[in-house]
Amino acid sequence: MLWLGLHLPALSLESFLTTLSPEVAAQPVALLERQRVVALNPAAQALGVRPGMKRATAMALAPLMLQGAADAQRDAQALRAVAHAMLAFTPMVVPVPPQGVLAEVQASLRCFGGPAALWRRVQQALAPLGHQMQMAHAPGPLGAELLACWRPDPGVPRHQTRAALAPPGAAPGEGGPGDPAWAELQQRLASLPAECLLQGDAHAQAALQAMGLATLADLRRQPRAGLTRRFGQPLLQALDRAHGLVADPREPISPPLQFAERVDLHARTESADALLAGAAVLLARMAAWARARHARVQRFELTMHHETRLRASSLGEAGVHTSALAVALAEPTADATHWHSVLRERLQREPLAASVLSLTLRCDEPVLGPPPDAELFPSAAGAREGLLRLLERLQARLGPEGVQRLATCADHRPERATALQPVWGRSVALGSLGRAGRAAAPHQTAPDATSRLTRPVWLLASPQPLHERQASPWLDGHPLQLLGGPERIETGWWEGDPVARDYFIAQAHGGELVWLYRLRPAPATGQPGWFLHGRFA
Amino acid sequence: MNSLAIPSSTLNPVPLAIPSAATRAQLLAAPDALHPALWRARAGMLAGTVAAVLPSGFAPLDAELPGGGWPLRVLTELLLPRPGVGEVRLLAPALVRVLRNGRSLMLFEPPAQVSAEALAQLGLAPAQCIVVRGRDGVRSPALRQRLGSADLCWALEQALRSGQVGAVLAWLGPAARSDVLRRLQLAAQAHEGPAFLLREVQVRQHPSPAPLRLVLGCSGPDELSVQIIKRRGPAQAQPLRLALAPVLSARALARAHAGQSEPGQGSQAVRPGRAAVSDVVSPSRAWLPSMMDEPLAR
Repeated sequence: MLWLGLHLPALSLESFLTTLSPEVAAQPVALLERQRVVALNPAAQALGVRPGMKRATAMALAPLMLQGAADAQRDAQALRAVAHAMLAFTPMVVPVPPQGVLAEVQASLRCFGGPAALWRRVQQALAPLGHQMQMAHAPGPLGAELLACWRPDPGVPRHQTRAALAPPGAAPGEGGPGDPAWAELQQRLASLPAECLLQGDAHAQAALQAMGLATLADLRRQPRAGLTRRFGQPLLQALDRAHGLVADPREPISPPLQFAERVDLHARTESADALLAGAAVLLARMAAWARARHARVQRFELTMHHETRLRASSLGEAGVHTSALAVALAEPTADATHWHSVLRERLQREPLAASVLSLTLRCDEPVLGPPPDAELFPSAAGAREGLLRLLERLQARLGPEGVQRLATCADHRPERATALQPVWGRSVALGSLGRAGRAAAPHQTAPDATSRLTRPVWLLASPQPLHERQASPWLDGHPLQLLGGPERIETGWWEGDPVARDYFIAQAHGGELVWLYRLRPAPATGQPGWFLHGRFA
Repeated sequence: MNSLAIPSSTLNPVPLAIPSAATRAQLLAAPDALHPALWRARAGMLAGTVAAVLPSGFAPLDAELPGGGWPLRVLTELLLPRPGVGEVRLLAPALVRVLRNGRSLMLFEPPAQVSAEALAQLGLAPAQCIVVRGRDGVRSPALRQRLGSADLCWALEQALRSGQVGAVLAWLGPAARSDVLRRLQLAAQAHEGPAFLLREVQVRQHPSPAPLRLVLGCSGPDELSVQIIKRRGPAQAQPLRLALAPVLSARALARAHAGQSEPGQGSQAVRPGRAAVSDVVSPSRAWLPSMMDEPLAR
């Protein structure tokens, strides 16, 4: 057994700061609980504010300091996200509130290429969540927890500890005193302060101090019966568990089936960029959750909670003070940067109904199953996916009507022969984007030299009436020279929109070819009979 | 005239060794051997090796284009007096080549509705053609005014930068300011295909970062005149006349030429043609088989 302990020393401050812009986060900030400072950033520390100070004292030292309320629930959410991110490496992940996460990684070492590689990957995986962290490893969970908090590894483990990390033969926790991992753990634990086992019991801590027991090594040298009599059984049990002498079973976390998380924005937010900063935290947490669930996300919903004061006036409907933004992607993905880019375009496109106080991100239907294999070399599938990503981004900003695909329709009326379709549907349309080159081959070969074009590329949205003089249509003050036709199109009577036209190809004054039609039967004099319908581009 | 032009793309580091006199002379004679982005402007010489080109499908035009085709990874400007002079038929052979590789064509704000039938007749699969409209995406009219052209330029830049689109045709209109064009030209470096900007001919005198600019005009039925006003090479002597994919049958073409060959352009020139066609349009003889090229009535 090899346990990896993570300790997040500034978790509650960071979970408060994540929704703030970097400029604000660099200002002095402190979190208060019951009128006392519990966490603060370096800028506040530089002004002389210290943890445990009264609010009034801190305000006297730093009058412009931004104050937030400590929120255990917010911290628990942030810690859960870290635990979800760790589930990418091992199923045995245990969050230890308030600031720790433990993971059993013995079986994962080989898969991820050894301890050094695993350490690096853990750091990469947790980087989007934006927490400082301390890491340590030990054969038992409590040992890892204590070491991460008090004596973290300075960095990626070096080669001298590798023997301890992956010993040949028996697992280190079960090894005897001759085991190198065992010896190393004893050595590192020995220097820990003794009161770390008695967190929250000030009386017992004072007693330890009075007895001159400063470190765990001191504690271990005392007779066990005496320790039990003075401090009770739990201290001795904790001591044994930390040293790996007794079993220490833990219950692993399991990710929820659906994702729903909420962050409170610090200030009333009206700009899309500030909203996006808040949403980015949620997206990073959703990415961690999706990875833990081995799922990808196709649709998610961002709910914006508006200020209650404005609900009646600016939203019109009393009682409605949230607005939802549903984002649907063409293909499920677990890529947080792609979600982010799509969401950014959507947020910038849609005006906010009112200023926003908090955000909720939901994903109810994750797409389970392993992601499709990635491509090593550029391939058609890779190009198609890249194109889909691009189109999604464009559609997020321009709307579904802004990006459309052409399709032919079996109709003789030229204005109905072309259909604009959504770029992707839920049907087979998706495949044709990438495959069209081959799919189109059987019935659409390259035009041979003898075939003529019968339709103009540019069709006018509404046919333009032409003047008629001397039995001939005129365009822009010049007569049109009819060269080809007529092509009679007479159809559509069953739809209540009958069309009866004779189409001609004509040459305009400049020499370009246009497509025009004459109504059948010819309308009464005074009514336009000729219409320009297209241009041969 | 003997000057080295270095295009905006970055150059590889030059080897430090100082070349001998003979090598220097050799290099100066053919600088594009050193790097494909280098070319030497000399009378009567086109830039030899543009990094990658796409054959245009018109041999006379390929002979005039540097490298022998439409350049990739840069903007190409086509200046038109008005839409519908034959620009799509000019580009179609090259676009067919792009689409045949399974890549897609994006049309940004085309000047009219696009007929899928016509594209299919040109050999362009409609399913691979994507139409992007900046103004239609936004519902509210006020927003549309403000965002429309900015959206379009943004979308075009995204498409070019992504490198996932086979070919791009864009009608930017007045939104194509010089700073926008410079941005697009930079974005186009990631675009592995031709990128055509179709602009009105009035901007001919305005500077543009596009290394290739052509003025298109109509020189007759099914015929296009192409004048290259900017390229990596000498100025073009006289405009090319290219025969486009035909719309007219041979008989109709002969009729058109008969109409034009008459001395004295204008209403007189039209008269013979109109006289001939007036038979066609008279209601009694509209179906006259002799005038019809093929039975088209539906």
